[in-house]
Amino acid sequence: MKDPLLDIRNLNVDFRTPRGRVHALRDVSFSVPRGKSVGVVGESGSGKSTVIWAVTQLLARNAVVESGEVLFDGEEVLSWSESQMMDVRGEKISIVFQDPMTSQVPVLNYAQQMTDILYRRRGMSMAEKKKKAIEMMRRVGIPDPESRIIQYPHQFSGGMRQRAGIAMALLMDPMLLIADEPTTALDVTMEAQIIHLMRELQREFEATLMVVSHNLGLIAELCDEVVVMYAGEVIESGDVRDIFYRPAHPYTQALLECDPAREEERARFLPVIPGDIPDLHMPPQGCVFAPRCRYAAEKCHDVEPKPTTLPEAGHNSRCHLLDGTVTVPSGKSKSAETRRADDTTSPRQVDGAALLDLSNLSVRFQVMGAVHARLTGVSTPYVDAVLDASLSLRKGETLGLVGESGSGKTTLGRAILGLVPAKTGQVLFEGQDLLKLPPGAFKALRRDMAMMFQDPVGSLSPRRTVKSLITEPLEIHGRNGKNLDVEAERLCDMVRLPKNFLSRYPHELSGGQARRVGVARALALNPSLVIADEPTAGLDVSVQGEILNLMSELQAEHGLGYLIISHNLPVIRHISDKLAIMYLGRLVERGNCEAIFDKPAHPYTEALVRGVPKPDPDKRRTLLSIEGEVPSVTNRPQGCEFHTRCKYATDLCRTERPDEQMLSDGRILTCHHPLAI
Amino acid sequence: MWWYLLKRLGLSVVIVLMAIAALFVMLHSIPGDPVSIALGPRATPEIQAAYAEKMHLDQPLAFQFLIFVGNVLQGDLGTDVFSNRSVGLTLSEQLPYTITLAVAALGWAIALGIPLGCLSAIWPNSWIDRVTGVLSVGTIAVPSFLVSIWAILIFAISLRWLPVLGAGDEGDIIDQLRHLILPAFAVGLGWVGYLARMVRASMLEVMGENYIRSARAFGLTSRMVVFRYALPVAVLPTITLIGVGFGGLLSGTVFAEIIFSRPGIGRIIYDMVLARNFPVVQGAVLVTIVLYVVVTLIADIIVSWLDPRVRDSL
Repeated sequence: MKDPLLDIRNLNVDFRTPRGRVHALRDVSFSVPRGKSVGVVGESGSGKSTVIWAVTQLLARNAVVESGEVLFDGEEVLSWSESQMMDVRGEKISIVFQDPMTSQVPVLNYAQQMTDILYRRRGMSMAEKKKKAIEMMRRVGIPDPESRIIQYPHQFSGGMRQRAGIAMALLMDPMLLIADEPTTALDVTMEAQIIHLMRELQREFEATLMVVSHNLGLIAELCDEVVVMYAGEVIESGDVRDIFYRPAHPYTQALLECDPAREEERARFLPVIPGDIPDLHMPPQGCVFAPRCRYAAEKCHDVEPKPTTLPEAGHNSRCHLLDGTVTVPSGKSKSAETRRADDTTSPRQVDGAALLDLSNLSVRFQVMGAVHARLTGVSTPYVDAVLDASLSLRKGETLGLVGESGSGKTTLGRAILGLVPAKTGQVLFEGQDLLKLPPGAFKALRRDMAMMFQDPVGSLSPRRTVKSLITEPLEIHGRNGKNLDVEAERLCDMVRLPKNFLSRYPHELSGGQARRVGVARALALNPSLVIADEPTAGLDVSVQGEILNLMSELQAEHGLGYLIISHNLPVIRHISDKLAIMYLGRLVERGNCEAIFDKPAHPYTEALVRGVPKPDPDKRRTLLSIEGEVPSVTNRPQGCEFHTRCKYATDLCRTERPDEQMLSDGRILTCHHPLAI
Repeated sequence: MWWYLLKRLGLSVVIVLMAIAALFVMLHSIPGDPVSIALGPRATPEIQAAYAEKMHLDQPLAFQFLIFVGNVLQGDLGTDVFSNRSVGLTLSEQLPYTITLAVAALGWAIALGIPLGCLSAIWPNSWIDRVTGVLSVGTIAVPSFLVSIWAILIFAISLRWLPVLGAGDEGDIIDQLRHLILPAFAVGLGWVGYLARMVRASMLEVMGENYIRSARAFGLTSRMVVFRYALPVAVLPTITLIGVGFGGLLSGTVFAEIIFSRPGIGRIIYDMVLARNFPVVQGAVLVTIVLYVVVTLIADIIVSWLDPRVRDSL
C-alpha cells in the first residue's frame, strides 16, 4: 500500500490567550490517501480549520504546535523553514477558501492575482502566465474568460467568484487541494454547481482532495473517507458509507440525526444535541463528548477513551461503548434528543383566523437620481425588488418564504412591517390595510408584529445588557404599568435563558444564546405575527434545532403566525405549513409546504429542492439541477423571468410572462409549463 | 466615474460659495469701521463718504456681497486698504512659500511615517513597534511651536548649522532650502507620528483580512503580500487624511511662519486681521478655502481611483 499524501500524527495545537491556553487540537491523527478525497466534518469550535492552518503552517501568531507530526508526501513539514513552506504553499498544497468575497484581494484583478500565484514560474513570460490563467478560468466554467480576467472580484457574482477561487487553487496543479467550506457562502443552486465542478475537476486533475465543512450533504457528495471532529479531537473516522450508515460514535450519530436534510419525514420538532461544546481552556478529563452524551456513564467522565478499530476496514472511533467497557442504557436508541411524543408527522390543521393578507405588493428602489438617469441615458433609474407579491397567513400558521440571495425575500418581509415603503398593493393585517393607515394608528398595530433580524449578534446593540435589550420593545411601545424586572425574567424563562444572563452583553453570548435574546425581543409585546429573517443562519446543526423547537413551542402556546424567510430549504421544509418560492422579486409558486416539496410544479422550485446536497453517499447527484446564474434585477429577462435558466423553456416563455394559475391541489403557480403533480 | 467627478465639482463650487458667504458675514460682524481705518482718524466725513461710495460700502450688505462674488469670479480679490495693491498680487507672492513649506513638511512626514507604520504593523510588539509607538504619541502631543523654538535653539543658535529667520535669498535655491529645513521639520514632526499610528492601525486591520491569508496560502512572498496585497488597501484612509492635513497646513503653518519670520498665507492672515485690513484677510481666507477644497477633492479622486470597488460604485 502506498504511503498517504498527508499524514497527521498526534497533533496538538494550543492558542495562547489572556485567559490561558486553549487546547484547540488534541491528539489529532488522520491521513489523506493519494488520489482520494477526505472530508473533515465538525461544528464550529471543532478545530477543523485549525488543522488546515497547521498543515500549511499559517496558524495565527498566538498558536503553538505543542507536539505531533505532519507528514506531507513522506516528509515532516512542521520543522520546515518559512521559505521551504512557501515553496509548498500554492505549489503542492492549495486551498479553495470559504468566503470568496473576503478571501480575494479587492484591489487586484484576476489576471494580476493569478499571474502573482505563478510568480515562481520564472521561465514563463507574462503573456504565457496570462494565457494559462485564462485557460484555467475557462476550465472552471467562467464564460468569456479573456475579457473577464481583467475584472475585479466585486464584479463577479458569488458563484463565479468561487469558480475563480477554484481556478486560482488549481493553477499550480497542486498535489493536495484543500477546500475550506467551499459552498457555505453560496446559494443552493450555486452550491450544486460548485459541487459538480469540484467532482469533475478532481477526476480530471487526479488531485487529492481534503474537504473541510460542517455541511454533511457536501461531504457525502464529494468524499470517499470522512473524519469527524468534535472540540479539537478526532472522534471517528472511516469510509464515507461507514460514517453515514454505520456511525459508531454517539456524537456522529447525533450529528447525522440533527441534520434536517437527512430527516426523511417532516417533523415539527427537530432533534438536538443538548448542551454546549466544552471550554477548551480546560477540556474535560474523560471523554470530550461525555457532558452532552446520552449514554455517558461514570467512566466516560473520568477516563479518556482510546481509539478503537472497528470491524470495517479503516473505521476508527474513540468511545467507551466500543471498547466494551460501557454499555448502552436500555431504552435509549437515538443519540440526539428524540422528538416529542406529541409531535405528529401529518400537517397540522390550522383553522385560525386570517392574520396577514398581501395582495399585489410591490417595492421599488430608486437607484439613481433623476438628473443622473437623464444624463446617462438610463430609462429605468429604479429596481423592482418585489413585484406583485400575494400571500396569506393564518394565526398559528408558519409560512416559509424561500429564495436565493437577491430574490427580494428580505425586502418583502421588511415591507410588511413598513420598514421599507411599498410602491403599490395592499397589506391586510387583522383586517386593516397597513399601507393606508395614518402613522399613529400604524404604531399601535406595530405592537402586534415583530421582526427577528438576520445575524443574531450583529442585530443587538453591543452596549446594552440582555435585560435592556429584551425590555426595549416595552420601553418603546409603553410598558402599560408592567414592571420591567418582572418582564425581563418572564421573557428569559420563556426562551429558556438562564436568569444570570440578564446582565450580560451581546459579545458574551454564543450564537444560539444571542438568537434566544432575539426571540425574546420579538415576543416581548405578545405579538400575533413574527417575521423571522434567516432565524438559523450561522447556527450549528445541533443548535438550530433548539431555536426552531423553541419557536414552535411558543407558536403552539400563543397562536403566533410566523413568516420565516430563509434559503435553508431543509429547515423550511420541517417547520412550515405553507411555502412561497421567490425568484427575482416574484412569487413563482406558493401553497402547501409538503405538497410542494413532494412534487414541485415550477421548474425553479424543482431545481431548488433537488439542489440540496443529500447527506447520503449513495444518492449523489450526477446531473446538475440548474445552470447559469440569477439575472440582474436591473435587467429583467423578457417573458417568464426564469426562462434564461429553465430547461423546459419554450418560445412562449421567452416572449410572454405567465399569469398566476391555481392547480388542482390549491397551489398557485406562475409558469406556462407546470410539471406534473 | 464622470458623473461622480461632475457631482463632486458641483459640490465643491457650492462649498466655496457658502464659505464666501460665511466669511462675508463674519467679517462684517467684526467691530471696527474699514473706512476710518483706511483713511485714518483725520479724514473728513466728506472724504469718508466718497471713499465709502467708491468701495460700495454705503450699499446694502446683499449688494456688497453680490459685487464681492462677481469680483471674485473675475479673479479680482480687491485692493489692500493700506497699500492700494491688488490683494491677488500680494497673495500670489505669499502662496508659494506656504505651499513649499506644507509640501516639504508633509513630504518628509509621509516618507518616514508610512514606512514606520508599516514596519510596526508587520512586526507588532517588536522593538521597532514600541519605539515608533512611544515616539508617535510624543511627537503628536508636543505642539509644533515648541518644536520650532527648540529646533532654533539647538540647530540654529547652539550648533549654527542652519539659518534662523526668513525664507532665504530670492533666486538662491540652496539658501532657500537651508531656510526650509527647520520649519519643515517643526511642522512635519507631529505628522510623522500621526501617519505612523494611522498606517499601523489600518495595516494591522488589513493584515488580518482573509485575502492576506489566502495570498500567503498561495505561497506568495512576504514582500509581495505586504506591498501588493496589504499596503494598497491600508493606505487608502491615509490618503484622505493627508488631503485634509495638507488643506489644513495651508493656513495652519502660521506658527512656523511667525516664529521663523517666513512670508506666507498664514502669516498674512494673522497680520492683516490685527490690522483690520479686511480685503486682504478676505482674499487670503478665500484662497485657502479654495485650495483646501481642491486638495481634498484630489485626495478623494485618488482614493476612488485606487479602489476598484469605489470606482465602480460611482
